[in-house]
Amino acid sequence: MSLTDTLPVTIEVTTWVTKHVGGDGSGSRSFEEAVTPGQTVGDVLRRFSKRFPDLDAALWDHARAHLGEHIEVLVNDAVLGVAHELDSPLKGGERITLLGQFMGG
Amino acid sequence: MTPTAAVTLATKTSRQAKPATPAIPGGYTGKLLRVNLSTGKVWTQPWGPDEMREYLGGIGLGAKILYDEAGPRVHWDHPDNRLILATGPLAGLPVWGTGGLTVVTRGAMTDGATSTQAQGFFGAALKYSGYDAIVIQGQARRLSYLYINDGVVEIRDAAHLRGKDTWETQQALEAEHGLSGHRLSVYSIGPAGENLVRFAAIQGDYGHVASKNGCGAVMGKKKLKAVCVVRGTGALRAHDPRGVVQAADDIAHDLKTDPSARTLYQWGTLPAVVVLYKLGVLPIKNYTTNLSTVDMSEWEAPKLRHLFAHRGHQCSSCGMHHCHMQVIGNGPHAGEVVDEPEYEGWSGAGWQIGLTDKEAIAWLNTRIDRACVDINEFGWVCGWVMECLEKGYLTKKQVGFHLAWGDVEGAHRLLQMISQREGFGDILAEGVKRAAEKVGGEAARCAIYTKKGAAPRGHDHRGRWDEMLDTCTSSNGTMESANPTHQTEIGLPGRISPFDGEQVARLTGGILGRRHFEDSLGGCSFTFRTRVENLARALSAATGWPYTLDDAMRFGRRTAAILRAFNLRCGIGPETEYPSERYGSQPVDGPAKDHAVMAQWEKMLDVWYDTVGYDRKTGKPTPETLKALGLDWLAKDLWRK
Repeated sequence: MSLTDTLPVTIEVTTWVTKHVGGDGSGSRSFEEAVTPGQTVGDVLRRFSKRFPDLDAALWDHARAHLGEHIEVLVNDAVLGVAHELDSPLKGGERITLLGQFMGG
Repeated sequence: MTPTAAVTLATKTSRQAKPATPAIPGGYTGKLLRVNLSTGKVWTQPWGPDEMREYLGGIGLGAKILYDEAGPRVHWDHPDNRLILATGPLAGLPVWGTGGLTVVTRGAMTDGATSTQAQGFFGAALKYSGYDAIVIQGQARRLSYLYINDGVVEIRDAAHLRGKDTWETQQALEAEHGLSGHRLSVYSIGPAGENLVRFAAIQGDYGHVASKNGCGAVMGKKKLKAVCVVRGTGALRAHDPRGVVQAADDIAHDLKTDPSARTLYQWGTLPAVVVLYKLGVLPIKNYTTNLSTVDMSEWEAPKLRHLFAHRGHQCSSCGMHHCHMQVIGNGPHAGEVVDEPEYEGWSGAGWQIGLTDKEAIAWLNTRIDRACVDINEFGWVCGWVMECLEKGYLTKKQVGFHLAWGDVEGAHRLLQMISQREGFGDILAEGVKRAAEKVGGEAARCAIYTKKGAAPRGHDHRGRWDEMLDTCTSSNGTMESANPTHQTEIGLPGRISPFDGEQVARLTGGILGRRHFEDSLGGCSFTFRTRVENLARALSAATGWPYTLDDAMRFGRRTAAILRAFNLRCGIGPETEYPSERYGSQPVDGPAKDHAVMAQWEKMLDVWYDTVGYDRKTGKPTPETLKALGLDWLAKDLWRK
């Protein structure tokens, strides 16, 4: 067993998304989530969001099969789709960030 | 004040005595106000239900007028250029954010089509005065302003307004007419517009700016200082008033509860600073880095708002907590009332020029609006000068003084030089593309622009390829597809890989049209960040037309095709659809540093052209596309078929 197998994944919830996890819509909140070998980004996110019904509704589409449109998911500071997909395996010590999507300005 | 032309339009009495005739759909007044500044003639032009259904208002109406009336030799500074200030069928109705206007013209930056939107009260005031749009042509002999008070329309002398900034102009006209607040809407140019700064803007109602593609230079060339509309006394009829209110309630509910819109509802565009930074999309020091040296938690929306004494400054019929006025609390400008910067202000008057003093940014942001230039282009110009001075590509002697990153007073001095076309400011007043081409050498390689000449929005598009592609391919002098909003509604994926060029191009091309539909209704792009289905329902209730999502997208695509045809006629073709060297460069650090957009650019163009149904070689919408859009008349123009 390697060191990364024993480390949790950090889930950082930021800006307005914090409202879904008991925050005030600003700043960030960090959570640690255990990960076992073979578990994917999607597995960890689904397990995590189940604890927060509002987040669950906002994060996923109606069928909960895919992510919805409105929350950006970053893995190790890279947007999902760059280095990781939803079905990519995660290792302990990696970080998922949930960022409220914002377009334009 | 002695008017240079005064016309009392006979339609006033009849409009007030009875509702609009049944032939005119609800939401419309049925009249366009036409103004010829060369002759002083003012008249009304009726337009009918068929034209309304075909072109709606805003950019849809403006694009058709521009195409029909401004031929290829009518450049931006030609007296025959049209300056169209258009509302839409929802303007003045109780739908959030329906007080604005869309400005359509042949703009000074690209010398091509322009559409740019601003809010406030103008659109509602104009509709209540009995007009759906103002179409201005000609050029006044001396500086003038247009005064509209129900059926009274006058072209008045504006010598007393010469040199005033936009806020001073509004204050002077308020004092002159004894009206203020919601009772008088004023859109004006500042010194920059008077001096034909190529990126001059048009500002109104303290803080709302139609800023894109040099529309203020067009107004300045026409010697039109301001358009001043007294809130009219006429009523607007809706086909189904209850249906309008129901649709408006659904839109408001969407804005308050939808995950992506509710942040806008609460904070406007303030959250974008932190969010876009995390994505590598906040432009810092002219694209020389994407890493901040300050604590970004201090840049979250609540901190940006509550740093200042502030109060809401909502537009007509708007329930958003978006626009605010605020007071500078500290420093040399303490006590000054300013407009809360939008994200674009924090970026263009701040991060892009290395300035992170929030109160200084808020002050400079309003000074830019008052001198009245596009804040995006000011940022690209000012940041370029700062970088070039730092690296020795420009000298203190050339510029006239030394300007370092973050120097707010120096940036303001540069703004004044540009606005007055003084010294090096005369070169900079042409915009960064032309200034860089004139200076040449290494300096030219640092400038951020599109080959068309249009200013990119205040983002680092090297981390947002969809916006770069949209900016470069657009036909309206700014982003044309704009941001994906509820794109699953039209069968597009909810998310894509942001650095996969093919996916980016499919999405950017796929959403083309939605923004044109929004911009034709007479409302705000922020309050219209709802499902198109809701907007179509509001339009149906207002007019009585059974308007669908498909109708809306088809309408938007038609408008895009007309704008593209106009630009092709102006000589703006596919060869211009590229970013400048710096704009398309690979970031040196930050979240997007491993991604080079130019490696995929040609492929992106191929896919985009295929998606929108335009011919890759000529840039024209294909005959098949035009036929499908019901634009046979345009196909004859473009393809001689």
